[in-house]
Amino acid sequence: MNLFEIKNLKKHYEIKKCFFAKPTIVKAVNDISFNVKKGEIHSIVGESGCGKSTTAKLLMTIEKPTEGEIFFQGKDITKFTPEELKEYRKKVQIIFQDPYSSLNPRWKVGKIIAEPLLLNTDLSNKEIKDKVYAIMKKVGLNDEWYDRYPHQFSGGQRQRIGIARALILNPEVIICDEPVSALDVSIQAQVLNLLLDLQEEFNLTYVFISHDLGVVEHISDIITVMYFGDIVESNDVDSIFANPQHDYTKKLLSAIPVINF
Amino acid sequence: MLLEVKNLLTCFHADEYVNKAVNDVSFEIEEGKTVCIVGESGSGKSITSLSIMGLIEKPGIVEAGEIIFEGTDLLKSGPAHMRTIRGDKIAMIFQEPMTSLNPVYTVGYQLDEVLRLHQSHLNKKERYAKVIDALELVGMPYPEEKYREYPFKLSGGQRQRVMIAMAMACEPKLLIADEPTTALDVTIQAQVLDLMRKLQKEKGTSILFITHDLGVVAQMADEVVVMYRGHIVEKASAKELFKDPRHPYTKALLHSIPSPGKNKRKSRLATVDENIDYLQFPKEIR
Repeated sequence: MNLFEIKNLKKHYEIKKCFFAKPTIVKAVNDISFNVKKGEIHSIVGESGCGKSTTAKLLMTIEKPTEGEIFFQGKDITKFTPEELKEYRKKVQIIFQDPYSSLNPRWKVGKIIAEPLLLNTDLSNKEIKDKVYAIMKKVGLNDEWYDRYPHQFSGGQRQRIGIARALILNPEVIICDEPVSALDVSIQAQVLNLLLDLQEEFNLTYVFISHDLGVVEHISDIITVMYFGDIVESNDVDSIFANPQHDYTKKLLSAIPVINF
Repeated sequence: MLLEVKNLLTCFHADEYVNKAVNDVSFEIEEGKTVCIVGESGSGKSITSLSIMGLIEKPGIVEAGEIIFEGTDLLKSGPAHMRTIRGDKIAMIFQEPMTSLNPVYTVGYQLDEVLRLHQSHLNKKERYAKVIDALELVGMPYPEEKYREYPFKLSGGQRQRVMIAMAMACEPKLLIADEPTTALDVTIQAQVLDLMRKLQKEKGTSILFITHDLGVVAQMADEVVVMYRGHIVEKASAKELFKDPRHPYTKALLHSIPSPGKNKRKSRLATVDENIDYLQFPKEIR
């Protein structure tokens, strides 16, 4: 079953050099279409500026598309009413790239993780606290850290806090926008393992955005390659790696530094 | 031997607490060779390079050891001597090309500055020609135009090329590259690495390459130094290290990288265990 059906999606930005100048149009996302099935890990790869993060923002409804439709479970999210959007945002959560800037430095970890519950549910304080403790345990955070601030954690632990916050509403889809690219290889492995464990346990769907093909090869089912706002190729992992069709995909694959002795 | 680092000890003082960021580190770099230092963040690899450049500032201090460059100990020779070497015979490329260029000067001015300081016998015209040459050498398109442009107009890859051009302008004996490609895309990274190898071949420069990316190490290194919590845990030639890693930390680090064809897809990756103190194992220095 297709969870997401993206049809002819476009996002153009107008940039004015000065007040009277005719605006130039930057086509960040230019007419892309793809489907995401339930339970799959769908990776979007490409270099910086190719539109992969804009696509994530469009799926999160942080940005409005210039044109095109995004169907989630058969309904077009671009036409949602505010109430429907609120429901939608409970089901679709995001993990950000930079665990240093995506957590509020003045809030304690417990509050950061509980925020989605405070906004979206009317649970009592005790119920919320129990849920937060449960989810912290799931992602490998210690109970005693409930009252700590983000700056007291390492990069990998902060990314776990971000993951806990995304998981607490039991979403169906998590959009991972470069979740491991700011981390060391050893920490990266821990976070990838955690993401795989959680996906199995909760039957999650990931839209995984990355520029690291090693990581993508390891975790994905389907890979979509973007280049300058267009999708150049979209196929299952084996086909992309064994038999890349597009020149850009080939170039990208040959640029991975391999350890071969 | 171009550079010998012997028993280097660099500490950071905070009240009564002393953090030994670099603890008893020794290695050598031969002429025309590349030595890679790998390790996680906080392992002391950048502090090692800053110690060699004489750029450690308070509360940090180089407390012991020797850094012998072309026969003289840089730690004993004083700041004036260090100034003649830094940027001239030993040059450095920093990690972030976005922050290491001055945003209010043109690219050309900043390149010109290196020559003004270290090759004062050249006149303005000669310096201009040299700067254009340097930009051409690093494969910058339209060097005459780029000379007049400000850093914000360049892409990440182009800025890193400017940094390399700046570092190579005086034809240094030793180039220290501190994570030069970490902020770049894979395709640009491949270009920058190619460029560094090409320059090394042409000019016979030695490179001290600092990175946490073992894939990059495999492409660049002759010798590899693995650092962990300020110590060297393993030192070997690149071939030996990747074929037969001996220290448990090196093994853990190597196994934690997802590499196409090596690990089973979606299998759980090996991780570096935070609860193990890898320093308890004997050092593997070959």
